[in-house]
Amino acid sequence: MFNNQGLSLDQAPPIEVVFRFFAVGLVFGIIAGVETMLFGAKVFEGSAREALVLTHTLTLGVMMPIMLGALFQMLPVIAGVKFNAPTKISLAVLPSLFVGTLMLLTAFYTGIPVLFTAASVLLGATLLLSAGAMLRKLFLLQDHGTSSFGMIMALGGLSLLTLVALYLALSYGGIANGEAFVALKQAHMGFGLFGWIALLIVAISFQVIEMFYVTPPYPKALTRLLPFGILGLLLVGLALFLVNPVLQTFATAIVAILLTAYGALTLLRLSQRKRPVADATVWFWRVGMTALIVSTTAMASMPFADISWLNKLAYIAFSTFALSVVFAMFYKIVPFLTWFHLNAQGYFDAPMMHEVIHPKTAMKHLYIHLAALAAFLITLVFPVFAYLAGLLLALSFGRATWQLIKAWKLYYHTQKHGQKFETDASLA
Amino acid sequence: MSNAEAILFDARELEHPEPLNRAVAILRTLTHDRYLHMIHKKEPIPLLELAQKRGFYTLSKQDDKGVWHIFIARDSLKSLLEKIDV
Repeated sequence: MFNNQGLSLDQAPPIEVVFRFFAVGLVFGIIAGVETMLFGAKVFEGSAREALVLTHTLTLGVMMPIMLGALFQMLPVIAGVKFNAPTKISLAVLPSLFVGTLMLLTAFYTGIPVLFTAASVLLGATLLLSAGAMLRKLFLLQDHGTSSFGMIMALGGLSLLTLVALYLALSYGGIANGEAFVALKQAHMGFGLFGWIALLIVAISFQVIEMFYVTPPYPKALTRLLPFGILGLLLVGLALFLVNPVLQTFATAIVAILLTAYGALTLLRLSQRKRPVADATVWFWRVGMTALIVSTTAMASMPFADISWLNKLAYIAFSTFALSVVFAMFYKIVPFLTWFHLNAQGYFDAPMMHEVIHPKTAMKHLYIHLAALAAFLITLVFPVFAYLAGLLLALSFGRATWQLIKAWKLYYHTQKHGQKFETDASLA
Repeated sequence: MSNAEAILFDARELEHPEPLNRAVAILRTLTHDRYLHMIHKKEPIPLLELAQKRGFYTLSKQDDKGVWHIFIARDSLKSLLEKIDV
């Protein structure tokens, strides 16, 4: 989050912009937990409507707004990208994303064709315009840091994901003829999981792991080759599907192997921290990277091993990877932004970061997160545990939502009642 | 001026948010005859911005090993800080 080329945090958006995106993502997380409680183990059944609803709640409802909010904060600070009117942009993007996601989830559950069409138009326009605006700014950069190049690749992945999703949704809606449905469905999953979610996490981690945890840096060549390799292989895989579907599976397996190696390297970096004690965010990263390794190993094994629960394991583990990193960043970003903006406004009694969200609070959330993971894993053997897993997932997101509300209330209270510093000039 | 006291703070091994937290706490104690000399692996842009907004003079220098030396003081010590070699 800190720019090292002399660019200013004044270019970062107002705190409300980021908090709104996070709030929407967290609320959808609660919804995901409630869905799991209602649907039970059906959420793991391949193309069942319940599985599609939960998958898109997590990817579009939770991950998308949180990742876009994080980009709104990080692009100005890490890459020096300036948004002219971040509040206006966020107020245009967020309601469209929220309504479009609800429409799509309803479409999956009810099967009503016009809902697919309406959702695809709204979401397609919102995401393509957002990604396009960010990419245009990034392409103008003269020099790319360790994260900005990977962000370009991830936003490229988002654009491709959205285009493919448009076709799929319009096929469901009866507008497109669906001839390429099977090929593009595989591509949709690949671009979504690897080309957008994993790739953006990888890109951001190249900067934040070293910065937050005082670790050795990632190898510079890796920060270029890995994002390029992942997106390139996904594109090659899509082309190969047209030749022979099995070849696409191999391309995806290579992506999985690359991500496995990245996960292992990140765990190694985290073990090289100077500080002996790990806070909750370090543990969220560790859980996330371990889950990534489990997921990608399962995915890479699937073409060669006919084991029925491998697919479910890969799904649970990948979700754990993504959500763990979300929470790791949440417990850094929210206290920092609250503290920084109040200090920047000159408030003498701005709360310290640990007063915004106490480290013990984050640790308690980690325990709930791990309990949810355990419950989801037990569903592999005892599907009835899905109901408990859903409850714990809702609790996990509910807890984070409450912390965000408390941070916002503290911020607002300080603005209303806090005392400001006198500057040196005014004291003279 | 030559009696100015340096408060040395080596933040290189500290994890976020300790460098910021401790540096801001030090800033609150700075008088006209004291300055902060912070040593860090990266240039701490958020700290520099906060200090500037509060009317402090800031100066960042990178030594030949790539380590950053950050000096923050009241304006009265500006000429002293500019003479310091890292």
